[in-house]
Amino acid sequence: MGRLVLKGVSRKFNNSFAVNNVNLEVNEGEFLCLLGPSGCGKTTVLRLAAGLDTPSSGEIFLDDKKITGANRECGFVFQEYALFPWRTVRGNIEFGPEVKGMQKEEVKRLSQHYIDLVGLTGFENHFPHELSGGMKQRVGIARAYANNPKLLLMDEPFGALDAQTRNIMQGELLRIWEQEHISALFVTHSVDEAVYLADRVVVMSARPGTVKEMFEINLPRPRVRTSPEANELRNSILKSLGAEIKKLVPQV
Amino acid sequence: MKLDSGKKGLVINLFSLIGFIFLWHILIVLAREDIFNIPFMRLRDIPTPVETWGALAGSMFTRVYGPGVTYGIINHVEASLIRVIQGGVLAFVVGVPLGIWMGYSKLIGNILNPIVEIIRNMPPMAWIPLAIFILVTGGSIFIVFIGMVFPIILNTIHGVKSTDPRLLDAAKTLGASGFGIVTKVVIPSSLPSIVAGLRIGLGVGWMAIVAAEMVIRSPVGLGYFIWNMGDLGRYAEMVAGMIVIGVVGYFMNISILLFQKRFIKWAD
Repeated sequence: MGRLVLKGVSRKFNNSFAVNNVNLEVNEGEFLCLLGPSGCGKTTVLRLAAGLDTPSSGEIFLDDKKITGANRECGFVFQEYALFPWRTVRGNIEFGPEVKGMQKEEVKRLSQHYIDLVGLTGFENHFPHELSGGMKQRVGIARAYANNPKLLLMDEPFGALDAQTRNIMQGELLRIWEQEHISALFVTHSVDEAVYLADRVVVMSARPGTVKEMFEINLPRPRVRTSPEANELRNSILKSLGAEIKKLVPQV
Repeated sequence: MKLDSGKKGLVINLFSLIGFIFLWHILIVLAREDIFNIPFMRLRDIPTPVETWGALAGSMFTRVYGPGVTYGIINHVEASLIRVIQGGVLAFVVGVPLGIWMGYSKLIGNILNPIVEIIRNMPPMAWIPLAIFILVTGGSIFIVFIGMVFPIILNTIHGVKSTDPRLLDAAKTLGASGFGIVTKVVIPSSLPSIVAGLRIGLGVGWMAIVAAEMVIRSPVGLGYFIWNMGDLGRYAEMVAGMIVIGVVGYFMNISILLFQKRFIKWAD
């Protein structure tokens, strides 16, 4: 359950390829990080996987089912949170179950479970504008989880947070993910974040994005960010990524 | 004495109002003493603030003289307000769904836009003859409707079109589609715009009702009242009525603003 397969996926915008011939698999229960220079189409890959966008060519499967149209079996976590500002923390988390037409008590039980899981107990009735960035993203994660997805899609979910909150949230995400284990595809441009979180890191090339190199991260969790093994991995990933970023230098 | 800036503002507001009334008084007195006048204006006929106040107090309530009845200003306010509310409810019920539809569906937008663009540029007053000669009843309510419906439609369209696309994406990944997206995302996110449209519409509606009541001679209503008083040469009552129109309009606006602050807290 939760196996995502991209087969030769390309997406053109205005006759130029954003991503070109991407072949990628997220295995059952795997945490995969997608890493790449800015503009390489990481977000495009994620939107395609969520069915929010349609590939120009190629096919995408979730558990052997071809994805056509918005895919409600993915939980999407957005960089800028994308919380419904008129709904409370609870209301945001209940959106998915509500749309599904679940029983009221069941919805309530579910939302309470995820509120507790992400550590927002006591903030149920707060509105998004009353929360800090880290708390907003906790709501974002809980909202995605409450829809009972097979696959978690995360688009630089901690990109807007300060460095310290970011580290805390990475730990929190792993804690939640280990309790409710589903496949995860996580987009980031931070090598450190990728090495800390992922089972596997995929480095994408500069635009038009395609899969360039893959790295297995066989380190036991919880990981020590400064361990020699982690440093070594970071080094080789940075080298691979650096070659791609160099191509962009005249543009940056 | 030290005041914080909010209170200081209020004090300045108060003094400005008092200053205006004072200036008004001086101007009229000077005109009556033949010391100063504005050419082509019978300034002396304008009531002083004190006379206006007297007329306001004197005509506030209904009075009965034997068989004759004079409606009080409160009755006129009530009549005008009821018409504005009736026309406004109608405009809201028609304008909001239409605006949502036009904003959400490109096709419907393209179909209805040219019609709306032409009709909204006809001032509500231009509809008064039609209301008189063609409508059997409810002419002034119709004029209010015309005045209010377009600001409501346009603001609703604006609200729908400025719905954050990320929220639409979020709703889609959470399983919402079609009708669910409209009721659960588009409408709540347009609510501040819709209320803004209602507020602007009320302002227009209030202007329209006064004009309509002057021409469509209903026996009660503020527009009728000030016209009638002017006709009778009772200028103090006429000016008192004008001031009441301004004050009622002001409070309508304030009450919508308060409603907005109270119920749409998230929109800031």
